[in-house]
Amino acid sequence: MTDRSFKYMFIAPAFLLVSATVLYPLLYAIWTSFHEWRLSKSRAPTDFVWFENYARAFFDDPAFLQSVGVTFTFIIGSVVSAILVALLIALLLSRQGKIYTVTRTIIVLPFAMSPALQGTSFRFFLNQEFGVFDRLIGFIFPFAAEIDWLGDSTWAMIWLILTDTWHWAPFLSLMLIGGLLSIPRDTIEAASVDGASAWMRFWTVVLPQLLPVLAIACVLKTIFSFKMFEYVYLLTGGGPGTSTATLTYYAYRQGFHAYDMGYASAIAFVLAILLIGVSVVYFRLLFPKEKEV
Amino acid sequence: MAKVTLRNVSKRWGAFIGVDNQSLVVEDKEFFVLLGPSGCGKTTLMRMISGLEMPTDGDIEFDGQRVNDELAKDRDVAMVFQNYGLYPHMTVHGNIAYPLKVRGTPKGEIESRVQEAARQVEMLDFLDRKPRALSGGQRQRVALARAIVRKPRVFLMDEPLSNLDAKLRVSMRAELKHLSNALKITTIYVTHDQVEAMTLADRVAVMKKGVIQQLGPPTEIFDDPANLFVAGFIGSPAMNLINGSVRNGRFITMGGTSTVAVNTPDRERVVLGVRAEDILVHEEGGGDLNVSVYAYENTGENVMLTLQFGQQRVTARTDRGLRKKQDEKVGLSFNPDRLYLFDADTEERIRT
Repeated sequence: MTDRSFKYMFIAPAFLLVSATVLYPLLYAIWTSFHEWRLSKSRAPTDFVWFENYARAFFDDPAFLQSVGVTFTFIIGSVVSAILVALLIALLLSRQGKIYTVTRTIIVLPFAMSPALQGTSFRFFLNQEFGVFDRLIGFIFPFAAEIDWLGDSTWAMIWLILTDTWHWAPFLSLMLIGGLLSIPRDTIEAASVDGASAWMRFWTVVLPQLLPVLAIACVLKTIFSFKMFEYVYLLTGGGPGTSTATLTYYAYRQGFHAYDMGYASAIAFVLAILLIGVSVVYFRLLFPKEKEV
Repeated sequence: MAKVTLRNVSKRWGAFIGVDNQSLVVEDKEFFVLLGPSGCGKTTLMRMISGLEMPTDGDIEFDGQRVNDELAKDRDVAMVFQNYGLYPHMTVHGNIAYPLKVRGTPKGEIESRVQEAARQVEMLDFLDRKPRALSGGQRQRVALARAIVRKPRVFLMDEPLSNLDAKLRVSMRAELKHLSNALKITTIYVTHDQVEAMTLADRVAVMKKGVIQQLGPPTEIFDDPANLFVAGFIGSPAMNLINGSVRNGRFITMGGTSTVAVNTPDRERVVLGVRAEDILVHEEGGGDLNVSVYAYENTGENVMLTLQFGQQRVTARTDRGLRKKQDEKVGLSFNPDRLYLFDADTEERIRT
């Protein structure tokens, strides 16, 4: 056996596994998206319809375009919120010491919790009749006592973002803590001696050095936000109306409620292309080609 | 410009004592060196002067004004860090300009002062580079330029040369000396390298375990060490220290060899100190003692001879022309004017 074939033999198991679980479904979805396939009428795709499913999405389906808007609203809101909260946690906890290590461990718990459990719990917490959040907020801010958190389209989106933030901020804060701890201490001390206030040190010395980690955290969170499905499903069910129906949720509805597999595949594929596009733009913006000196 | 006064300053972390109730005065425009092995508290002492560390007890004064409660940013000191502490995301220009920028200096003045500082450290051609595109020596110069760009009251330098290779360290040392003479700003310099201390300092404080052991001009510390620790720490090679006792006006080694006449009443448990250059080597039969050559090392500028008598070994610095073989017999004598006696228990100098 030559070295070359030997090499391929070693990666073959992994390759086959990935092919079976990722590549095949992906290609099958693309193939499906070019077909007419009503699960209620047929067990297999029927007619090849070219780009009809895609055309329908962009030119003939206001609900699709609305869910694109909902998706981007959620992404922007959840990325900003999760990163800001994570940064705040990280700044508070990026110190050496036993108490900080212990707190860091405890604070990861939300991330360890099952999203299904968390989503269901939050729905109960926000219930207008017996929800603990609803009651607490009503107690602290009496003017908000009458708000039906999940029955109002703006508040439903805000709670969707907050639920997602609760889950992701701890994980992202761990990344940022790692980044903060790797910043050379003497650069921050040098800035103190040079006369910079704490605020100036943060903006001119800490943040610029944290930027690479922050960028990766943003990219990751954007991808996760794009894919987010569970909280829409569990918390709002896309509602009220379709005001929180993201693309993932809309594709799910089309596939498993309307049984229109061809159309659902097309939507999923649009989602994938948007995701790739956004990631490319991100990397271009955050990692511009360094000028060599 | 400032006179720095420390009054009964201590720094403790729990039970650990970093600096133990120390007082000292650094005069205006003085080049003051804190010297000691790692962990002796010298850096802690300096960080308390900078404001990066708060003293547990005691007062720190600049020109008679208590600065304990002032933050580092308000003390108007400049510091050069061991790892330089350059801002990696800024160019050399950005680094040097930073202390002026955060103080809201007008743009035009920033520009001229950055140029002036860069010129003084010969980094004018590198203003557009990022620190990672510079060599260690160049980074060191940028750190220096950042410190001198505004005229601080006090310069603090924390082992600034220790990350450079040996050759560069010597040339940077000379530049540092030149620069400090030109600037005339009070400088406090921390190092574990006694050669740096000897060459740069107006005065040196030798520290051990949070306590200043001796404070004075370098020559005084070299010629007149206060105790065993200072004697062993200053000088290269280290001073020869021989355990023994004084009987009938002569120093007797632990092995029982009578070596040299000393002007001290009889006492037990004494350490004799003699520097390598104060040991004279004679042909066999000459001198006070017959010894054999344990090792012969020619450094180029002189010859280091390690000599053995009984269980005792001493190192002598001799003329570069000397040729001896291992195990060859030679004679040895000590320069009687430059012998130091210490109490082996208290480690204090025995003065006669």
